[in-house]
This record gives sequence, structure tokens and C-alpha cells, in this order.
Amino acid sequence: MPTLHRSRLLTAAVASAMALTLAACTTSGSSSTSGGNTSELNLQFTGVPISLNPALAGAGGSTVYTALAYDSLIHLSNEGKLEPDLAESWKYVGAGNKVFELTLREGVKFASGKPLTAEAAVASMQYFLKAGGPLAPSVGAVDKVEATGPKTVRITYKTANPDAAGTMDQYHGIGVLIGPDGVANPQSLLTKSDGTGAYVYDNATSVAGSRYSYTKNPSYFNPKAQQFSKVSVRVIGDPQAVLSAVTTGQVDYATGSPATADAAEAAGLNIVKAPFFNWELVLGDTEGTISKPLADPRVRQAIGYAINRDALSKAFGANFTKPSTQQLIEGADGYDESIGYTFDLQKAKSLMAEAGYAQGFPLTVLTESILDRNTTYSQAVADALKAIGITVTLKVVSTTVPAFIGEATSKKYAASIWPSAGPNMFQNYSQVSGGLFNPFGHKDAQLDGIMQRASAADGSERTALYQQASQRFQELAWLIPLIATENVYYVSSKLEGISASVGNPNPMPVGPTPELAWRKA
Amino acid sequence: MLRLLANRLALSVPLLFVVSVLVFGLASLVPGDAARTILGEQATPEAVAYLRNQLGLDQPWYERYGSWLAGVLHGDFGTSILSGQDVWTTLNTRLGVTLSLVLTALVVSTVIGVALGLVSAVRGGVLGRVVDVLSLIGLALPNFWIAIVLVSLFAVQFRLFPATGYVPLTASPSEWISSLAMPVAALSLLGIAIIGKQTRDSVLDTLGAEYVRVLRANGVSERRIVFVHVLRNAAIPIVTAMGVVAVGMVGGSVFIESVFVLPGLGSLATQSTLDHDLPVILGLGVYFTMLVIVVNVLVDLAYGFLNPKVRAS
Repeated sequence: MPTLHRSRLLTAAVASAMALTLAACTTSGSSSTSGGNTSELNLQFTGVPISLNPALAGAGGSTVYTALAYDSLIHLSNEGKLEPDLAESWKYVGAGNKVFELTLREGVKFASGKPLTAEAAVASMQYFLKAGGPLAPSVGAVDKVEATGPKTVRITYKTANPDAAGTMDQYHGIGVLIGPDGVANPQSLLTKSDGTGAYVYDNATSVAGSRYSYTKNPSYFNPKAQQFSKVSVRVIGDPQAVLSAVTTGQVDYATGSPATADAAEAAGLNIVKAPFFNWELVLGDTEGTISKPLADPRVRQAIGYAINRDALSKAFGANFTKPSTQQLIEGADGYDESIGYTFDLQKAKSLMAEAGYAQGFPLTVLTESILDRNTTYSQAVADALKAIGITVTLKVVSTTVPAFIGEATSKKYAASIWPSAGPNMFQNYSQVSGGLFNPFGHKDAQLDGIMQRASAADGSERTALYQQASQRFQELAWLIPLIATENVYYVSSKLEGISASVGNPNPMPVGPTPELAWRKA
Repeated sequence: MLRLLANRLALSVPLLFVVSVLVFGLASLVPGDAARTILGEQATPEAVAYLRNQLGLDQPWYERYGSWLAGVLHGDFGTSILSGQDVWTTLNTRLGVTLSLVLTALVVSTVIGVALGLVSAVRGGVLGRVVDVLSLIGLALPNFWIAIVLVSLFAVQFRLFPATGYVPLTASPSEWISSLAMPVAALSLLGIAIIGKQTRDSVLDTLGAEYVRVLRANGVSERRIVFVHVLRNAAIPIVTAMGVVAVGMVGGSVFIESVFVLPGLGSLATQSTLDHDLPVILGLGVYFTMLVIVVNVLVDLAYGFLNPKVRAS
């Protein structure tokens, strides 16, 4: 009997294995075309959302998780233009860029069915500020938010904010409005969206951490802008898996990488790209607490001149990287082509000698392998600095971004490598004047003065001041620009309306009008 | 046998408790918490304090652990801090994926491994050496590399299988099989190598035993000797190897789930640890321990089935 049992078991096992192989071969067609239904949009994003609550959500491309279900007061188009969304118009009140007022659109409802009113908008914005999420530091120094009429909202800033409209877009959180029910119970937003967006989050068909599904919002104010019946965001982190998924049609849009871009292009995918990161060597220890030589501006400037950025860019793929010689990337408001570091090894050596460090010195640089995979940028910088006698030891964090930020702000390292970003000097300056870009808290009265004047100025006057700030950054040499890298996206030929720009390097599939939303080709 | 099983199950209760305490302790020792993860490093102390209060993270550790334990005793594993999902439901959903992957890979590994090991031991010669070489290759190649090669060939090149993703069995049996084919193949290779090698060695040992010579002298057919007498006596080390392979597959599934983007327990473990999502981490600790206990109990049952001495003791 045992023999009989065993042989049956063996037969069943073999049959299962054969069935598995057979079925796999016969069903492959349906699986490989799962992303081909054009009424559905299948997106990929690299990581899970920090939170589905817009007040606690993350920045950049992860905005997709909230942008699908929550419209913002002002919409930033793919081209980087500010367009009316929940606010039909906006303006500064008085001079000095300190009071900003928006007039809300009529006839808008939240997913809960409650109407968009000035009171609801104010409650959402106040909750955003109180929650203090990752985006809160990027919206300016808000003093108060108040309703000045049934459809008008006024924001007063403690200091001038020249980019108030920009901070009301879908990427900055404060203008991403949550309905009264969601504000009253923020935990509910993790499983049920309460926004005014084109779609609503569908918790039942989602798998947290893996797939986030959205269905049409039946009460959206502009149904013509709802181009898809269903939108899914799949979390795929591994670049090779991303390439496989988009090549085989499982997703229609994916975040690419320079490493796989050639293969994606060869597979017939459209490549969309835009400059985004400005990688920098952060010389934060400007008082010389950890590394005495860095207290001398000549040493910091020498480092700036010792780096051959053209060679770096070529080594890392000229299609997706560019030499970066100044604090802003090309195309940003404040970029000035007449300034920037050149590669001048002789000048670098002279500056080192003048500062008394002709023989160089050892320097530990904190870096990571999360964004800079395999620390290739960092190793190239370390090699370049050998030429002026600086022996770099890399300390690599390979766990998480928060872990890296924790180390970078610990004041244990004189220098680190990390990218800054920003479509204008105001946003870039807000980013680099604190946190991991300035762990030792240095200040420069001249730079602060320029930025204060720029904040209260408009148009070409502001641009000129931004350029002055860029020049001052170079003199101070706190931050040594290295290379600018581009955000790369792979797009199925079945989609159109997708582009990226310096003003908006993280395109979103939704917009308040059909022209601003992605659509099937 | 029943007493053995009862003992095993009784021991599992304190084991689960100890594991939960250890997991809680270790997770608490890691710098940072979920509030910091959500708010980021630039958050103000006020915002962090506000969110910690909202999430109950400002309670003393013993109160948080006690509250979690009390919930578990009432069948409530809590909710994920980051996703707001019920932990038990999340684990059950994800277990289906991981179990589908691991159990199918175990069956495939066993069937092919035993078959190859048996043929190698009985036939010997060139075939035996070929099986040996294949076993070595299986042991040497990392499964994530095999996974990438399989995707390039069978998903991207020939479009036979989906490159990523998982379809539940209840949604479509054929698509379930299709979505698992390559992950199972990648995960099975090491198992095939281990079980194949163990089968070969074990069967060769048994074939050299005195009683096999007696059976042959009595004119018993070679087929009957191998399948009825030798295989049964050689089975215990093979079953032990299967147990080891099964537990190893649970660990290996983390890489496979990453490459094939399967929403299983492995990817959940990685993400929840990075996010400091303590209710999910604790749930996973208990869940993985239960899985290991179940595998060990099944191995014990198999010992009892195969060896009467074990049953008697």
C-alpha cells in the first residue's frame, strides 16, 4: 500500500509540473498584453507611497499616488506652466510678495460629496501645516491662511514668497485639498481618498505596497479630462524588472534609468527626459571643525576647479548627464551661462599651494548607493581629487535615504555627495540653506541679502538677483556642482500628451483639462 | 507520534511569544520610527511629536507591546502604520503569494530532484556525473541571476510568460500558473540541486546495504528493489533535505519576489522593516515562525510515515 500511495503521489506531482509548463505556454498571450487595454492606464513607480494622505505624502514622482485622487489649487503642466485648477485665478495682494489670494472654482465636490468652499480649503491647508509632513518645509513661511469670502482664500507669509503660486501646485502639498471628512479623520485617507481629483482610490482592488488602483471619480468637475476608466500604479523598484514590465506591455509608463535606456529605445519605447538632479559635493564643514583645510575658501574653490566635468559626463552617459558648473541646472530661473567652474588643474593646484596645502590632505566623504547606484559618481570624484593631493575615503550608506540624511546631518562628516534640484533659485536656495546641504549651519549675509531682495522682486529684476546669488554660491564654494542628471521615462506608443521639462521634471497623468491630461494615442 | 506532535505544538506557543518579544526589541533598537519615516528628517520636533501622539508611538514600550499582545490574543494583529491596512488581512493576502511560490517550487524541486538523484545513483556512469555537474551548477548560480536570465528569455524575447506580477488562483487558474512559472523555475534550481544530491548519496548508501544484496540473491526485480525497498529506506535524509530546502525557499523568495514583483511576504518584510512599521514587522515575525513550525511538524509527520521506529517512540 505505501508503494501505491507513493506512486500516486509521484504521478500527481509529475502531472502538476507538466500542467504548469503546458498552461504557462498556452496562456502567455493574455498575460503579456495585460497592459494593452487603452481604457486602463498602467503606471509604474519605483517606491511605495510614504503616505496616501496628501498632507504626509512625498515629493517628486511619488506625487502620482495623490495627484490621481486630489486636484490642487494650481496645476503645474508638463511644460512647467501654472494652470488654473481648483483655483480659477490668483494674485499677490499689495507689494512685497507677502500676501497671496486665490479665487476658487465653482461647482467642485470632494469624493465625500461635500462642496469645495473657502472654509474647506482653509481647513485643509491648516491641517497640512499642522501635520508637518515632508513637503511642509517647501511651502514658504506661512503666517496664516484665511477665507476672505465664500470662494476666496488668502495666505499671508511671514517673509516674502516670490513663488507662492508655484507652492500651490500638485507637488507641494499645501494646495492639494483634502475634504472635510478626511481632515476630520486623517487615518481614513490611507484607505479612502477624499479629494476632488479625476479618480478615487480603490482600496478593495489595491494591494498596499504592490499595486494602487484608482477608478473614475463620478463627481469630477471636468469629466472630459478623465481619459481612462481605471488607473493603476505598480510598485517596481528593480530597473531590470521595470524594463521587462514596460517592454512587454505590462505597464504603459515607467521611470527609466540611464543603465537601461538604450534597451528601452531599442524595444520601440518613447523616451521622455528632463534635467532634474544637480549632483553636488557638499563641503559643509566651512569652519573646519572636522577637516581644517575646508575652512579656507581657496581649498574649496580648488576642489571646484579640479573636477573634469566633461569627462565625468561622458563616462556616465552623455545622453542622460551633463556637466554641471553652477548651482542651478540649465533652463532654471537664475542660471547664468557666463559663470561656473571650469576644469583648471593648474589653478586648483595654485589655490591649494596658496592655502598651504600643496601636499593635499585626507578627507572622508559621506555618500550613498541608493540614488548613486554602485557609488560611481562618488568614486569618480574621489579619483579626480587625487590630482590635487586630496585622499578621499568614501563612507557609503546603502540602506535608506532617511538613514543617509541622518548621517549627513550628524555633523560627523566634513563633506558629502547628494543632488539638489529646483526650477529656480528660490526653491534651490530654500533646499540648500539647511538640512543635509548645510549641516553645520553656515550663513552668509551677502547671499541672504541678495535672496531677500529677490524674494520681493518680480520678472527680470528677480532673475538678475538669482544670477547674483548663483555667482555668490560659486565664490563661497560651499557646494561644488558636479554633473546634472536627467529624469528618464519610458512611454508606450499607445500614450500621448506626455512630456517633461526643467519646470516639471516629474510629469503626472492627470490635469484639469483634456489637453493637460495624458490620453490614448 | 501524537504525543510528539502535541509536544511540538505546545512548545510553539512560548516560542511564538519569545519571537514576538525579540522582534519587538530588535525593531525598537533600530534608530528612528514610523513618524520619522513619514515626516522625513527635516520635520520639526512639534510635527514629529504630534504624529507620534496620533500613532501612539509616544507610549512606553511595554504599553505598546502589551497593547499589541492583548490585540493578538483577541485575534487582532493591528493595522499598518503606513498603509492603514489590517495586518492579518495583509499577511493572509501576501501568504497566498509566498505559499504558492514556495510550495510549488518545493514540489517541482522534489519531483525533479528525486528523479535525477535516483537515475544518477541507479544508472551511474556518465549520467551520474552529468547529474553531479548539474547539481554543482544549481548550487553555484544565484537564484536572482537565474531569474533575470529567465525574464530576458521567456518574457522579453519569446513572450511566453508575463515578466512581472501575480494573478491569484481564484482570479484565473491558468494565469496563476503562468505568473508563477518563471519564479518557481528560478527558486527551484537550488532545491533540485540539494535534493538531487541528497537523493543520489542516500540511495547509493542504501544500495550498498546487506539486505539489498539478499534481495537480489532472492531474485527480486531491480525495479522492485529500488522503488519499494531502497527508496523508502533512503527517504529520511531526503525528507530532512526537503525541510531545509523549504525553509531556505521562504528566505530566497525575498529576492525572487523582488525580481518578479510578486506581492508576497518577502517584499512586505523588506518594506515594513525600512518603514519601521512595527505592527507589520511583529505580524511577520509571528507568521514566519508559524511557517517554520508547520514545516518542522510536517517533516516529523513524514519521518513517522517513513520510519515505524519514530511512530513507536
